[in-house]
Amino acid sequence: MISFSAIVSFLRKEFLQILRSREMLVMIFVFPIVELLFLGFAVSNEVRHVRLAFLDYDRSAESRELVSAFSSTDRFDIVPAEISDTPYTILQSWRAQAVVVIPAHFGRDLNRLDGPALQIVLDGVDGNTATISSAYCSGIIQSFIRKELKSRDPRLLAMLTGQTLTGGVDLRHRMWFNPDLRSSLFIIPGIVAVLVTITSMLLSAMSLVREKEIGTLEQLMVTPVSKIELLIGKLVPFWLISFVQMAISLVFAFLIFGVRPTGNIPALFLFSNVYLFTTLGLGIFISTWSSSQQQAMFFAWFCMVFMLLLGGMFIPVANMPAAIRAIAAINPMNHFMVVVRELVIKGAGFHELHNEFLILLAFGTVCLGGSVIAFRKRV
Amino acid sequence: MTLSPPDSEAGSKVSEAAVSLKGFSFQYQAHPAVRDLSLEVQNGIIHGLIGPDGAGKTTVMRSICTLLDVAEGSVSVFGLEVNKHRTEIRSRLGYMPQRFSLYQDLTVEENLRFFARLFGIPEQEYARRRETLYSFSRLGPFQNRRAKALSGGMKQKLALSCALVHAPELLVLDEPTFGVDPVSRMEFWDILHDLKKQGSTILVSTAYMDEAEKCDHVTLLHKGRILLDGDPARILKNWTTNIYSLGSDAPRELARFLASQPEVLSSQFFGADLHITAKEEIGATKFRSWQAQCPSLRKWEKIPAGMEDIFLELMENDQDR
Repeated sequence: MISFSAIVSFLRKEFLQILRSREMLVMIFVFPIVELLFLGFAVSNEVRHVRLAFLDYDRSAESRELVSAFSSTDRFDIVPAEISDTPYTILQSWRAQAVVVIPAHFGRDLNRLDGPALQIVLDGVDGNTATISSAYCSGIIQSFIRKELKSRDPRLLAMLTGQTLTGGVDLRHRMWFNPDLRSSLFIIPGIVAVLVTITSMLLSAMSLVREKEIGTLEQLMVTPVSKIELLIGKLVPFWLISFVQMAISLVFAFLIFGVRPTGNIPALFLFSNVYLFTTLGLGIFISTWSSSQQQAMFFAWFCMVFMLLLGGMFIPVANMPAAIRAIAAINPMNHFMVVVRELVIKGAGFHELHNEFLILLAFGTVCLGGSVIAFRKRV
Repeated sequence: MTLSPPDSEAGSKVSEAAVSLKGFSFQYQAHPAVRDLSLEVQNGIIHGLIGPDGAGKTTVMRSICTLLDVAEGSVSVFGLEVNKHRTEIRSRLGYMPQRFSLYQDLTVEENLRFFARLFGIPEQEYARRRETLYSFSRLGPFQNRRAKALSGGMKQKLALSCALVHAPELLVLDEPTFGVDPVSRMEFWDILHDLKKQGSTILVSTAYMDEAEKCDHVTLLHKGRILLDGDPARILKNWTTNIYSLGSDAPRELARFLASQPEVLSSQFFGADLHITAKEEIGATKFRSWQAQCPSLRKWEKIPAGMEDIFLELMENDQDR
């Protein structure tokens, strides 16, 4: 028999406590916005404003035109270089991340179509940036050459195209769902998943352990309230707050970044609900094992780091080695992250995420069920 | 031991006992807390569990409050086994744990109301009880104050009120006066005596020996065993060991000297003085001969035994065993 009035009195007490604690209010309403702003803007693997230097040994009209072709994009910021510089000294002194070397006679060779040569030297320490800027450089150089040749004789271009592209196939790329490759579109759904996890797992564990620490849990245990009533009373507030946080982050994701969930929003809330079973269950587990808030914090962060790193928040799980992918498969956040991204970015419907739903439901049942059994109304 | 527990026969009327422990042992992770303990708490009295930290007081109380799984021996409350009748026992007893702190961010009234609701007390009944609790605790004027803004004594009274809100038959208080100022402690004991007059049974633990004398019945616990059990007034009256208070300018030196004297059973520091116990009376001639050998001895006086003297002597004997 579950006493409704006992649960209601718990809820009333919990909300009174939460609303009276300024720290909690800040955590609930301000943190989501701050995290969105910071991570949304800062965590970006878009490559822009790469510092680029030219070592122009040719000093011809053609070489100057090539340099000016680079100045029309915000991908590169051109930095000055002396003729006494070498690519090594430039990269080593951090003045530029990439150097384009234009050898002497570049203009002459281009005009004669006598194999004009160029060299790009990149700082490979940041591999991601190097690869992407190399591709941008090649693109700009190619279109420069096309334009140069076309202005002289269109037939030259046809000759060149035939030489460089395989069989003259015209390859065109189209990025779907995120045509501008904005990393905010990738990161923001991730932040939503992380916030929901933190609130439901960490805050609920802390709230239970606090009762243990100040001794009220012992007093509660001696009341006729059953452990189910006690847990419902303690957890429902954090369950509700998680949804409020999710709503806040989605609204601000739209206001700040213009990210609008393209998929089924009720489905998003349904999935979150199932995911919350897992995280609330973990919260109870953590509180059962810890006797102080520090311990609970330690346990919760241990779980969080594992969940974050293997959750595909920053690094897609698909890029990881097979063994790690197998471990990541038992990470509930990984599955939830997939669901949130699919729903927000790709506009997937419920039927496409049918498997993920079953997986999350299984996690939820095991975690919540197991933790409720493990939680004992004894000292 | 110089005294047999005087009330051991009176305690055998099982039907009247509110609490009965038989051969109860309990250990926390292979660390024994209570060993083969048998104890009865009679209805309608204030029963004190007296002992230093680690004596097993909290374990005994937790077992009574159905917070432990009793595996060895039996513990019954109101004639009900604690392992089998948790819910019934819980609704009939009130418990104030050692670290009473309640919800600091809730007001006095909100704390009371919360516990009343958990016990399923209807609103009108609660309003009536609240007034009664305010009248004895004098917390009425502070009902809208947050618990964290209360003084130590008031917090303690609020915790007691919360334990009393469902009018329990048995009240279990674990070191309720710990860390509370002497005036509040006295007030608290007055409240306990009032509650007893209204028919409550109270089991209270304390490490303060002076509080033992305020109980109707005491059980002295040490290292998980009972040292002595009985009516404190009778224990004090029947205590036959002689106790002397000695004043000295160099009490440590005196204590070392007395340790070699066969008459002295034990010696303990009591503030600046030294209390010694002796089987036989020690006359003035003996004291003078001691004074000749140890000139720092200034004065001597025979004093009646206090609970603390008795406890310390029993504890010392217990360690010899």
